[in-house]
Amino acid sequence: MSGERVLVVDDEPQFLRALRTNLRGAGYVVTTATNAEEALAAAGLNPPQAVILDLLLPDGRGTDVCLRLREWSAVPIILVSAVGEEAEKIAALDAGADDYVTKPFAVGELLARLRAVLRRAGAPSEPVLRIGALELDLEKRSVSVRGEPLRLTPHEFDLLRVLASNEGKLLTHRTLLREVWGPAYQRESSYLHVYVSQLRRKLEEDPRRPRYVLTDPGVGYRLVNPNGGV
Amino acid sequence: MLAGAGAGIAAVAVVTAAIELFARVVPVLSLGVLYVFAVLPIAVVWGTAFAVPVAIASMLAFNFFFLPPVYTLTLADRRNWFALAVYLTTAIVVGHLAARARRGRDEAAQREREAALLADIASELLRGFELDDELESIAKRTAAVLGVSSARIVLGDAGTATRGAPHRLEVEGRLVGTLYVPDDEEPSYEARTRLLPALASLLAVASDRERLAAEALEAEAFRRSDTIKTAVIQAVSHDLRTPLATIEQALDGLEGGGLRLTDTDREELLDAIRIEHTRLKRLVENLLDLSRLQAGAASASLDVWTWEELIGRALDELGASERVAVDGRQDLPPVSVDATQVQRVLVNLLENALGVSPQHESVHVRVSATRKELLFRITDRGPGIPEAERERIFEPFHRIEGGPLRRGAGLGLAIARGFAEANGGRIWVESQPGRGASFVLGLPTVELPVQVTA
Repeated sequence: MSGERVLVVDDEPQFLRALRTNLRGAGYVVTTATNAEEALAAAGLNPPQAVILDLLLPDGRGTDVCLRLREWSAVPIILVSAVGEEAEKIAALDAGADDYVTKPFAVGELLARLRAVLRRAGAPSEPVLRIGALELDLEKRSVSVRGEPLRLTPHEFDLLRVLASNEGKLLTHRTLLREVWGPAYQRESSYLHVYVSQLRRKLEEDPRRPRYVLTDPGVGYRLVNPNGGV
Repeated sequence: MLAGAGAGIAAVAVVTAAIELFARVVPVLSLGVLYVFAVLPIAVVWGTAFAVPVAIASMLAFNFFFLPPVYTLTLADRRNWFALAVYLTTAIVVGHLAARARRGRDEAAQREREAALLADIASELLRGFELDDELESIAKRTAAVLGVSSARIVLGDAGTATRGAPHRLEVEGRLVGTLYVPDDEEPSYEARTRLLPALASLLAVASDRERLAAEALEAEAFRRSDTIKTAVIQAVSHDLRTPLATIEQALDGLEGGGLRLTDTDREELLDAIRIEHTRLKRLVENLLDLSRLQAGAASASLDVWTWEELIGRALDELGASERVAVDGRQDLPPVSVDATQVQRVLVNLLENALGVSPQHESVHVRVSATRKELLFRITDRGPGIPEAERERIFEPFHRIEGGPLRRGAGLGLAIARGFAEANGGRIWVESQPGRGASFVLGLPTVELPVQVTA
């Protein structure tokens, strides 16, 4: 509870009020905005450490706000979406949002997501990543899990590298395909499903109940530490 | 029949008299050929069946009156038999030819009438005249062309309950309808076989077209009601979900979960719950009102009210009177309405006005009266309403496309208009885009009996 500043953007006044109160109770400093214009102005005036952004705003879409923010800021963005806004949600994630919660959500869920994005944003980059029993040496391109070295194909390694470098972050199909296979493959999600299941077979103890590489159905994948947090 | 026979006898008599005249200057034997003039008109008017007896009668008359020995049917000179036979044959052949020409002309005329009738019917039906409306006139004209005194057309399978001789109107074995003509009248075979199938085809096309148009209309209505249902579900689910999400969020905070909340924070959360609870309650009330209105179950219990009382009730319910400025003369006529329903109308109109106006702007209510109506004019400071939307905003669940309002299921105005109309009133909107809108509620005023002072 370090008093990080969070910008909350939502056009429902009462929802904004409840969320602001809860976040303040959790130790954050909260600023609020009720539309896209206000949000961009507030973020520029007093850059927050994280943004909680409603997907549908009266004067624009959350996706546009993501794009505009990403022009100059790497601030973590958590989307607040409602059922039925899946396409818009994926577009916003592709545009640079880090994660999402779906209305209605429990405070605990939002706080956990918030902690995860803040931790990731604050983490220094190192050549060796350790996530649970997984160890990735980005320099040597070697991987071991539970002390056992893994033999991965170059694409499998790159997939794991992108996921592990964004620990806890939801990566859309499009993002993963672009990062691993290149921009020409952004729509070939069947590639991705095949490689993910190969990776799980090598990585997970029980590939049918994965604990590291988790699926967000229809949206993307994220790699998490099975021993803690989101 | 009789007319034909009479005319035949008369024709023979006239020609006989004529020969009698000419016989004084011309050898009588050469005049036998004149009987052709008796046969011809008969053949033309009554046909060969009359022409032949007239030809024979002519020859007998010629023999009787002019060939010696006269006044007998015997012939003195046997060569005259030959002349008679030649005359007779000539008369019959010429008569037959004339009759045939006449028949051909008649038939051409008949075909022409049939074709004209069919063309008329076709053009009427294709122009979109209703088949049912046209049926009587079609039957009447068909009767004229068929040469019967009257006719009736019954579409589809009419059974046998109808009087008259039925003629089936069929297209490829499918019964389109039945044409009834009087029992004792029989249209000619040719006309029947030519005209009726063509008529049947036309009627089949027209009734198919009407059926398809009706089906298309039904499909369109179905699609529309489906679209409306989807809109209703979307609007209502959004409007239910949003306050629920707030309530859930606030309850979650109040129940703890590691949050450190001050008393002020708790009061904030409770207040948010209260406000969203009111919003949910209003939504449910609106849905109930709407379903009552749509079921026609919103009967008004009328009583006489002044405008001050009506607006006062609405402001009490709203609890937002500091943002509503009201003015009107005290001596305006009262109205006879259901006060609870008019309260709903005014509350919904005021809520709408407050919702579209900026927070610090107030809404104006001006009350006035015309000769027949008491008018409440509610003016907001919102963005105004485009011309094209001014009626549609009163449809349930309608929201202005791309408008600033995400809130509200779009029920308020529909309910307002419903209740206004249930009380004999009306609502319309006047607006200049960019300069706000005025919703006007007009309620019929009542004439109070002149008060008698004691």
